[in-house]
Amino acid sequence: MYRSFMMIIFILLPIYSWCATSTVATNLYPANLNGLKSQFQTAMKSFSDVASIHYSLAGIKELGVQPPDTYCNDIKKLVDKTNIESIYHATEAAKTLTNCNLPVEDYRSKISSTIQSDKSTTAEIYYAVRSSINLGLNIDESLIEKRLNTLAKTDDSILSQGYALLTGAQLSPAIAKYYADTINDLVQQADEIDGRILQYEGGISTTGLIFNAFYEVAEKAGTSIKIDPKQLLKFANYFSTKRHVATLRSAYYLTKAFKYISDNKNSMPIVVTRVSSSEVNAQNPSVLVSVTNLFGQPVGEMIVTAESAKRNEDGVVVISKQKLTSKSSDFTVYELPFYDKKISRGFYTIHLTLTPQTDGKFIGLTDHTIDVKVTSEVTLENVELNIVDRDNAAQIKTYKLTYPNGLSNNLEMDYHQKLIIKFQVKDKQTDEFIRVQQAFLRFTNKQSNKEIIYLAEATSGSNPQYKVEVDLTTNANDFRHQSDAYELVLLVGDALLQKAFSWKLTDNIQLSFHDDNVPDIDHLNIYSAKPEIIHQFREAEKRPPAIVSLVFSGLTLLPLLILLISWLKLGFNLSGLPLGLSPLGFHISHGAAFALMYFYWKYLDMFQTMRYLALVSIPLFLFGHRVLAILAARREKKV
Amino acid sequence: MSQLGQVIGILRKLNDEYQISTPKKLKLIDAYLVYVLLTGIIQFIYCLLVGTFPFNSFLSGFISTVGCFILAASLRIQLNTTNRSTFNVTPERAFADFVFAHIILHLVVINFIG
Repeated sequence: MYRSFMMIIFILLPIYSWCATSTVATNLYPANLNGLKSQFQTAMKSFSDVASIHYSLAGIKELGVQPPDTYCNDIKKLVDKTNIESIYHATEAAKTLTNCNLPVEDYRSKISSTIQSDKSTTAEIYYAVRSSINLGLNIDESLIEKRLNTLAKTDDSILSQGYALLTGAQLSPAIAKYYADTINDLVQQADEIDGRILQYEGGISTTGLIFNAFYEVAEKAGTSIKIDPKQLLKFANYFSTKRHVATLRSAYYLTKAFKYISDNKNSMPIVVTRVSSSEVNAQNPSVLVSVTNLFGQPVGEMIVTAESAKRNEDGVVVISKQKLTSKSSDFTVYELPFYDKKISRGFYTIHLTLTPQTDGKFIGLTDHTIDVKVTSEVTLENVELNIVDRDNAAQIKTYKLTYPNGLSNNLEMDYHQKLIIKFQVKDKQTDEFIRVQQAFLRFTNKQSNKEIIYLAEATSGSNPQYKVEVDLTTNANDFRHQSDAYELVLLVGDALLQKAFSWKLTDNIQLSFHDDNVPDIDHLNIYSAKPEIIHQFREAEKRPPAIVSLVFSGLTLLPLLILLISWLKLGFNLSGLPLGLSPLGFHISHGAAFALMYFYWKYLDMFQTMRYLALVSIPLFLFGHRVLAILAARREKKV
Repeated sequence: MSQLGQVIGILRKLNDEYQISTPKKLKLIDAYLVYVLLTGIIQFIYCLLVGTFPFNSFLSGFISTVGCFILAASLRIQLNTTNRSTFNVTPERAFADFVFAHIILHLVVINFIG
């Protein structure tokens, strides 16, 4: 059984992952052209270097705005004649202007030295070649080709390959064709993310540059660009996600990438977006979609079909294989009438496919999804406000209310009573009672503006009825026992309601709580500074005054006196004290041991003391033994 | 009243008996024991009066008196000739033990006195 389980997993997993990744969800958006344009225009206000001039002028020209010739002086001022990259940017920027001629002789030597040098990188070769072409200089194509081949062996980074392609695009079509054939290899080197996006390491400016290189070299070679449509879509997805880019270089290459992808000569991804509101109801019954390319331009007539419209909740299909009608003359806007009495409230996902009616290399024609929600109008029915006595359930005061009228008279309640509010929410269209996401009852204290909110709960089953109960004794803590006038509001809302309700039931309801005097906390003060904690060091324990200690120290020595006196009285004498070396040694070492104790107390630590003690105890024991032997012998003699 | 008189009488008899029958050496040791006891009592009274701070010093002093008392008492027992049967140790050996034990006791006490 375990084995069959594992077999099922091994078969189902690949199928699942294939299903999950085979559809490249085309969530393409039209390019943020206005953002790019304003980015270039802001940069054009003041320039700090010649690269910025190049990117902003060339970028704005791609977007259809011709920059004025006044920038020619800025170019001439900022160019650095000793830097080949600076020369490249200057010549490119000058090309965008109608009349800007740069002094060719200033740059000739640098360009030729770059091309001749062994140490030039692929980027520098490209800059030199492109500058030569811009300035009208001759270039030695075979030399360049040789340089590129050498560099291809030493530098295989992706950016270097991109620059090689760009350089190839400047040379003869035969050379360009050679490089165009390597496009597929380069595409294989891209990183795929989530199965939806293809990019190169280095972010948007690298990916944009390489993508542009593909198109430029294919154009020069006279062939069409050979990229798998699925992969082209993934690149398009990547560019589409870049709504804002940080640098001018990225912005320039992004603009060029969008332009190439939106050119009818090449394969063009189609962008489908919803232009009507996401809410579908009786007032706006149709869903409008726009069909354009990434540049926001029309793509010719298309047949747009809604394959299916499924309700997210239960997958029920409400629309199947319905054609949308064109609403504009340039075939960019199509309409799908959606609202119908038979389509109930809910969230829906519409799947669209497109069939082009004109010639063109369109890609990304399937798997477009549009999310909409169908809302409805509701009414509040059977609204009742009951004031019930807590102890005596029979005593009820009932008020029936109709939206939008509140109660005309003032209400008064005290802690013997509880408030019960009941209501039902009815869908106008289907005449059924429904549940909503939000049903709240709100008390607002008229003096302090504090709000106390209760949740209304619905009964289960069909025909749900909402009920909320507030007991003035058990719920008194919510109000912090503040007896005051309150305002009562009923709030009903839902994502699928066309209109939500905020209904003031009564302007003045007087609540009296049992005086438990829970002080009302000022909510504004919760975030004020708390009292400062000052670190308390451990207090020293109380000590007795010095005199007491001294007196007692003296008292402790008193018994010594008593001892000496009693010893003398008993006849303590030193007559039997043996004299000689051994007794002397014994007494000295014994005394030394006690002196060591004193030193231990005052100065030494345990380890040193142990060492000294070991030292002292050797003579101590030696002499002690001898003295005791003498004494023992004396005793033996006596006996 | 008569009970008190009886007690006093017994005590006096005990004292006389003690004075006569105990040898001088043992009496010296007894005097030493009384001295140590008094010292301990005074230390304890001081602690009761002023509190136990610093507790380690009080303990070390008190245990010093207790230790000295015990060592002296055991020396007395060993030196008592009537106990010769139970202990087979010469007086010199007893004294040597006494000195050795005292050294260790003082080491510990000084360590603890802080």
